[in-house]
Amino acid sequence: MFREIKRALKMHRIFIVQELKRFMEYKGDFITGAIGLLLAQLCSIIFISVIFSQIPTLVGWSFNEVMFIYGFSLIPKAIDHLFFDNLWAVGHFIVRKGDFDKYLTRPINPLFHVMAEKFQVDAFGELVMGIILLSCSLPSLDIEYSFMKILLTVVVVIFASFIYTGIKIGTSAIAFWTKRSGNIIFMFYMVNDFVKYPIDIYNNVVRSVLTYIIPFAFTSYFPALYFITGENPLFNIGMTIVVSIVVMTIGVLIWNRGIKAYESAGS
Amino acid sequence: MGKKLRIYLPFVNAGLQEVSTYRANWIFYILGDIMACFVSFFVWEAVFISTGGETFMGFARSDMVVYIFMSFLTGQIIGSGGTYDIGEEVKDGSIAMRMIKPISYNSTFLFQEIGNKIMEIGIIFVPLVAGVEIYRFAVTGSLKFDILRFLLYLVCCVFAYAINFCFNICFGFTAFIFKNLWGSNMLKNTIVGFLSGSIIPIAFLPGVLKDILTYLPFSSLSYTPVMVYMGMYSGWEMLFFIGLQIFWAIIFWCLSKVIWKCVIKRLSIQGG
Amino acid sequence: MIYVENLRKEFKKTIKEPGIKGSLKSFFKPKKEIIAAVKDISFEVNEGEILGFIGPNGAGKSTVIKMLTGILSPTSGSCSINGKNPQKDRKQYVKEIGVVFGQRTQLWWDLPLTETYTVLKEIYEVDDSRFKKRMEFLNEVLELDGFIKSPVRTLSLGQRMRADIAASLLHSPKVLFLDEPTIGLDVVVKDSIRKAIAKINAEENTTVILTTHDLEDIETLSKRIVMIDKGSKVFDGKIADLKEKYGQMRELAFVSSDENALDILSYAEKFGLEGDDLFAESDGASFKVRFNSSIVPVSDMLSYTLSKINVKDINVKDADIEEIIRRLYKEGVQNG
Repeated sequence: MFREIKRALKMHRIFIVQELKRFMEYKGDFITGAIGLLLAQLCSIIFISVIFSQIPTLVGWSFNEVMFIYGFSLIPKAIDHLFFDNLWAVGHFIVRKGDFDKYLTRPINPLFHVMAEKFQVDAFGELVMGIILLSCSLPSLDIEYSFMKILLTVVVVIFASFIYTGIKIGTSAIAFWTKRSGNIIFMFYMVNDFVKYPIDIYNNVVRSVLTYIIPFAFTSYFPALYFITGENPLFNIGMTIVVSIVVMTIGVLIWNRGIKAYESAGS
Repeated sequence: MGKKLRIYLPFVNAGLQEVSTYRANWIFYILGDIMACFVSFFVWEAVFISTGGETFMGFARSDMVVYIFMSFLTGQIIGSGGTYDIGEEVKDGSIAMRMIKPISYNSTFLFQEIGNKIMEIGIIFVPLVAGVEIYRFAVTGSLKFDILRFLLYLVCCVFAYAINFCFNICFGFTAFIFKNLWGSNMLKNTIVGFLSGSIIPIAFLPGVLKDILTYLPFSSLSYTPVMVYMGMYSGWEMLFFIGLQIFWAIIFWCLSKVIWKCVIKRLSIQGG
Repeated sequence: MIYVENLRKEFKKTIKEPGIKGSLKSFFKPKKEIIAAVKDISFEVNEGEILGFIGPNGAGKSTVIKMLTGILSPTSGSCSINGKNPQKDRKQYVKEIGVVFGQRTQLWWDLPLTETYTVLKEIYEVDDSRFKKRMEFLNEVLELDGFIKSPVRTLSLGQRMRADIAASLLHSPKVLFLDEPTIGLDVVVKDSIRKAIAKINAEENTTVILTTHDLEDIETLSKRIVMIDKGSKVFDGKIADLKEKYGQMRELAFVSSDENALDILSYAEKFGLEGDDLFAESDGASFKVRFNSSIVPVSDMLSYTLSKINVKDINVKDADIEEIIRRLYKEGVQNG
């Protein structure tokens, strides 16, 4: 077990190095992507600023708090995007074109192989924006810091990014049955738009969906809430970890069933 | 003219079938895209709750809802995939094949896309407009739908589509420079989305920015049609903005011709 | 070495009715049909053997290869290779095999070729000294030197195929699966690839299983073939046996001074030949006749022809393997 994890980490590092070499060949392209993602977030921030130019608080949330949640939501998203973006390709064409064959003839876990193979430098656009928002909003927030709190937040960000990854694994695996599932991944993935804002602006139905069904609320709102208020770590942090593990498990279970249904392509 | 158009009919048909084949696929994408509308919807709801007032910078609560969903719908109607498809062809070199065909490249593309549009509009247009109007009726208690304004809106959409179509063709050829189609396309969509007012109504922006964006071509894309639909413009204003749309449509049409000429020149010198 | 027993693979296929109503119907209540792509195939392969695996398009060749390489799970039956089950011990098993799919590449598209080998070295856990030796060997056999520093996307199809074969051999597999390794290549390149495969087989005693459309691949490389059609095995044995069994066809080509000479001749009635045993085609004054020489001796055929028409030129040909196989395929279609 320990040896396998060590080997997986080593392999992942090698894949990333390969991708960085690729990046050096197409520098301009990646920068275009990263700037695009950065600007996309910037537009939303202008949107929020325009709103707050007219109102002091949004249902009780200050501008800086909203910015903090927004910035926080980008970080787990960016981490998943950075490391595990290739799952989109599984849903779009890897399965349909039969390219998945390659992963099955290699002596490493196919899920790990396909996930780790791409390193999506574009994601730095989101990551940088998230960090900028956090660092701009933090000084104006009245937050009590402690070592424990910072540690918990860092840990929870990793688990939160697995919520994204788990959802992508599960939805991309649908392609094993239907040949393509890019559309389904997209639909689930876009739900994350909701959690850039505090979820108490939504009605009960939306809130329940974000908490219990497509639990993106645990990638931003709940952990951010803990960090701002220090309240209820058991739910805000504990549940995030539990939800992350559950989502990941469901995703992998769907994936494992899917692989058995894989029919390759061609004659 | 009739005969000339007839050779393009198969392309319309192909466009129709394209959507019907990938219908399920496409509906999922629309559902994904429409999420963003609902996010905006709830944010604005929260804004109106927080201000306690009935209007926000001249927009009533119901106006805001109409604005969000109609902007989305208009964006879909006038959307054009030219950038991506042309970009792909530039990248793999098959653009050269277009030169040996006896019919105009841009026209075949246009007609195929019109086929797509007929199908897409059939699926989402009616339910969305009906939904928006029912909402508006429920909130304000009176029917705000005006058939004349609606027809003018459709006219605006035609001009907006013409601008967008030519603009996207121009941008598609940037694939000679940018190889990352996904990235450059997203970059373009973000910038255009912002400049055309589909994220924030241009009226909400501070002074100078507002003036600049009003006259740039992007406001002609979705902002003008939506404002016309909502009845935000008086008669003279309406005339002025539609005139502006026509002006930009002509400019971009000429520009796409010029760029296409340059591309042909480049291809004939360097090869595909 | 390789034992395949009653291997069977069934696919479920959704039948779509035409029209919108049909789509809706198949969306809610899909009509499924079970199609057997591979029907209870059994064969064995010895260590160091090169086995040619042939059959027409859609016969199930690739499906068999995909089951043997662990990509697909069989519906029933079993296969064991070197004592391992491809599905159960997948990770251990794939270390012992190399796979090349002619129409796909496993090389890193945007990077220089060497990069692919360094990554594969890690994936297959090949240690440094073995890797160095291995690369030297592969370099020599497959002549990679000229393009090993070039990005894969710039390689020609032939270079890419050589690079792909090298990639599949990096970890010294005991069995090499080649699915259409010469597809789309020109004659010279095909020849160099065949030589490389033969050399690897000779030097390392690697077992090779080869599917191909090009029967020259088979004739130059393998002594034994397994032929399948519509998912069933129709022949298993030496190429010589195949020729022996089905190779009784002879072809006579005549050039006559009479126009439409073939019309004068009635081989079928004269010798009682029918169906596959006789085939004739004419092109003005020249014509060809193919017939089963175990029923009618060549001499009888000749003397009959010469007695009926004026002949300017005669040519007698052995049936080639391609002809035999075409005949077998046809038989398969009729029986199936």
